Amino acid sequence: MKKLKYLHIPSLLALSLLFTSCENPKLKPPREDSNQKNQEIAGGGGTIDREFARELAREFGREFAIEFARQMKDSPNLVKFDFEKEGNVTKPMEDLIGEGGEVHPLLAHCSEDVLEFYQKHPDCFSISPIDALPRDLNWQDGGEEQEFASPNAIKGGTWEVFMRDFPRTLRTIGPDANGAFRSYLLDYNVISLVHPHPNSDGYYPGLAKSWAVGKDGRTVYFQLDPKARYSDGEKVKVSDFFFFFYFMRSKHIQAPWYNDFYGKDKFQKVTLYDEKTLSITFYKAKPDVVERVSIRAKPEHFYEELDGEFLSKYQWNPEPTTGAYVALPENVDKGKSVTLLRQKDWWADEKRFFRYRYNPEKIKVSVVRDYNKAFEVFLKGGVDMFGLAKTEFWYDKLPNNHELVQNGYLSKVTFFNQTPPPSYALRINSQKPPFDDLNIRIGFHHAMNFDMVLEKIFRGDFVRMNTVADGYGGRSHPTLRAREFSIEKALEHFAKAGFNERGGDGILVNSKGDRLSIELLTGYRHFEDVLVVLKEQAKKAGLELKLKVLEPTAAWKAANEKNHQVIFSAFNSFVELFPRFWEPYHSDNAYQEVGDSKFEKDGSLKPNLTTKVSTNNFTQTAVREIDHLINKYREEEDLGKITEMAHQLSKMIHDHAVWVPAWKKPWLRIGHWNWVKFPDDWGPKETRDYEEFQVFWIDQPEKERILKAMEAGKPVADKPTLRIYDKYKSN
Amino acid sequence: MFQINPLTRKKLARFRSIQRGYWSFLILIFLYLLSLAGELFVNNRALVVSYNDELFFPTYGEQMSGKDFGMDYEYEADYRELKNRFAREDSKNWVLLPIVPYGPYEMDYDSEDSTGFSPPSFRRSHFCGTDKTERDVLARLLYGFRIAMTFAIGYLVLTYLIAIAAGSLMGYLGGKSDMLGLRFVEIWANVPFLYMVIILVSVMPGGWGVGWQVSSLLIIMVMFSWTGMTYYIRASVYREKSRDYIAAAKVIGAGPMRIIFKHLLPNVISTLVTFAPFTIAAAISSITALDFLGYGLPPPTPSWGELLKQGVSNLRTAPWIVISTVTALVFTLTLVTFIGEAVREAFDPKKFSTYE
Repeated sequence: MKKLKYLHIPSLLALSLLFTSCENPKLKPPREDSNQKNQEIAGGGGTIDREFARELAREFGREFAIEFARQMKDSPNLVKFDFEKEGNVTKPMEDLIGEGGEVHPLLAHCSEDVLEFYQKHPDCFSISPIDALPRDLNWQDGGEEQEFASPNAIKGGTWEVFMRDFPRTLRTIGPDANGAFRSYLLDYNVISLVHPHPNSDGYYPGLAKSWAVGKDGRTVYFQLDPKARYSDGEKVKVSDFFFFFYFMRSKHIQAPWYNDFYGKDKFQKVTLYDEKTLSITFYKAKPDVVERVSIRAKPEHFYEELDGEFLSKYQWNPEPTTGAYVALPENVDKGKSVTLLRQKDWWADEKRFFRYRYNPEKIKVSVVRDYNKAFEVFLKGGVDMFGLAKTEFWYDKLPNNHELVQNGYLSKVTFFNQTPPPSYALRINSQKPPFDDLNIRIGFHHAMNFDMVLEKIFRGDFVRMNTVADGYGGRSHPTLRAREFSIEKALEHFAKAGFNERGGDGILVNSKGDRLSIELLTGYRHFEDVLVVLKEQAKKAGLELKLKVLEPTAAWKAANEKNHQVIFSAFNSFVELFPRFWEPYHSDNAYQEVGDSKFEKDGSLKPNLTTKVSTNNFTQTAVREIDHLINKYREEEDLGKITEMAHQLSKMIHDHAVWVPAWKKPWLRIGHWNWVKFPDDWGPKETRDYEEFQVFWIDQPEKERILKAMEAGKPVADKPTLRIYDKYKSN
Repeated sequence: MFQINPLTRKKLARFRSIQRGYWSFLILIFLYLLSLAGELFVNNRALVVSYNDELFFPTYGEQMSGKDFGMDYEYEADYRELKNRFAREDSKNWVLLPIVPYGPYEMDYDSEDSTGFSPPSFRRSHFCGTDKTERDVLARLLYGFRIAMTFAIGYLVLTYLIAIAAGSLMGYLGGKSDMLGLRFVEIWANVPFLYMVIILVSVMPGGWGVGWQVSSLLIIMVMFSWTGMTYYIRASVYREKSRDYIAAAKVIGAGPMRIIFKHLLPNVISTLVTFAPFTIAAAISSITALDFLGYGLPPPTPSWGELLKQGVSNLRTAPWIVISTVTALVFTLTLVTFIGEAVREAFDPKKFSTYE
């Protein structure tokens, strides 16, 4: 025991050393050394004046950047600015930093770290004189599009909503930022250069008052709205779109997905022309290139530059926004609620497409952790709107004869929308036996009784999804239908694969004695009942399903590692012009071997391929013909051909039978208190979420009237307030 | 192994004399036996089918296809439909169905308007109503009870085996092994049980069927809950060890195994027996709690926790689920507690103890 005592001391020491040295290495600023040096110079070893040190550091940095640029120009080995070759710009660029070391006026305010970044990527960031702007551009301003909000809207009032969990940060990027609350800060709020019009295939202006697509089809020119401002009063500058890429490509934001998404290979170049003109060049001349490059502005004056403290510094310090609502740190009631305020004189107050939206004066987002409890809060009037997509809410918990609906206090709304649905489907891992046999896969399709699920569980309100790319308008295959539930067909295909006899428990067995038993994985506990129905029905076709319901993250992990046989899951689809096939169906996302090297001459897969993990190819689809077509599809720039190929691909994937489409809901169903008013159409066609376009308003006098009537027990309407908007109902 | 000694016999007699506990015990045993033979009372398979002058007993054994009874499908025969058909055809064939003609997995989507949550109905023989996917609540309660009880008994046996082994080793050997063993138990007991179960359940491969999943859940639960009993066993063994009869046995030359099994264990058995009912109650409530949270038995295994969850989230629209489940749960746990109290009292050496 004595010995043990002595052992304590060194081990404790070692432990404490370990802890002190373990301060998250990621958080350390990468340019620490130079910073320290500068600080020493400034403070002379004594206390350091931070501002002064910063200024000095900037000075040094600038000099370094200039020197760097000079060396780059002098050295013949280094990459030269070769814009002439690319032919995008008619004249050679003006330098970001001139011969004499003076910074270009458009970037005069940039910090040295940012400038250095621009300098390091001269092929991405350039400045051209305004006369270099092509003369024959066809400028658009969305003038021909219709507004989708109502001029009757009244400003004012508080919009009460709930969230399930308190946001862990007010950043909109980086770890923990991707929660539900982000929508209020960013997705539904902040204004991009240009927005896709939710009722048509056109666009409406945002930060840019006009835009034009260049001759190459992949460069989009923008002219900023001179009124565009952030919530702190600063103007939106063209250089903020330079800074956007500095920001999004920074390691400090700790968001690899964004690092990659806004990477150099897609967003190839940003060019500034003058204080309000810029262009962004995309890697391909896609038909929807305007939408693809319509980024948001990043307030450079707010961040100046990023360092290892980014996460902690901006955790509860939200960036100034171009959107209508601001979250101020003083309006955060930690753990309980966040209140967003509408800006007093928002720059887009009078702007077309914005003037009748964002009507409530405040948005109060309160935490209600339990969904059922939130519903009760809604019935008490504490929450203004509530999604009623779930059958039990729509039919059982808030039936049409519910007192609140009967008396006209609450409305139940069904709004038919047109948007790509989340892709609910059973994804079959075609790599795992017995699913390497096409017959088993087809039999499996026929053994899934989704008709019963739709009829009994969803009471006929949902419809069957038919293809892997439903909801993309013309790009969706017009005639392809999901395989129907048919015991005969299922048995026929299972028999072809050798499973032709039923065992004692009614499950098919093959000659080797293997039972036809499949593990079905899912992370959706709330859809357990659906899977239970499928399981019981599949028994009739001699197929055993073993259900495994995990936590969403655990299920996701298993599927990412391609450990599943079948997973029931959904990906959220974006409102896009045409569907994506590469991520879920290209063999490069199934196996590590690249391209055609994984196929034998006859197109079959070589043995002993290495599975590629962490991709969206949950079906492990690897078919040479599909690969080739996807490659062509990704290269294609003509919408007609894209459409044709999308149809072909949908058909090929259908024939490959790895994806059992489940359902889609062609509508939004919500309940709302009648003091919330909506435009005549209720909302635009592509509405996916009732909060998305913020076209509603709060009628304060009406609210008082309804509350008074409720207190007195008097109805405010003589029949139940049920509304159906089927203007956009398809087929 | 043990001979019932007169003292124990006396204790048993005393237990029998405590009416409440004794009857609770009988009822619980009866219910458990009933649930073991549950297929005869609550089942979608018929008890007897007389078809073309031949008698069939499909309850146990291999499933019979619809074709066996002249239906046009190959999957398992729907005996309720068969009964209706025979009645319609007015043939001499007949079907005898159990009292509740539904299985725990079967969804009764037969009638047009059934979309889940049907209230109790004698006409449809859903005596406790149906759940979200139109499964009979009574059937799920009964089979849930069977699984929970079997689980609890398995849990009891396993935890006792480990606890007795560890406890008597620590108590009998004493000294260093006691010190180290006890430290280990203390550390192990501080591993948060629920989190460990959640983590382990989510990483467990599920490929080997429901039976494997249930037993692995059992093993995980036992792994993290055997520690509680060890303390008591160790303490009792310690106490008994210093008695003269152990010293006498040692003097005669009895080995440690003989001493532990022949002398010590019979004397600490009162501790074990007293705790047994409470362990059972704890096992039932924890498996229910785990199921309620969604980390327990894999769906669609009938379970009380799963029923409770459905009941709570549909408290207003389908109160019959929560009412019948809570009644069953309270009833069972009350029985177990009564037994526990009676056993404790019967094994209490002081016959006339007063409580203040």
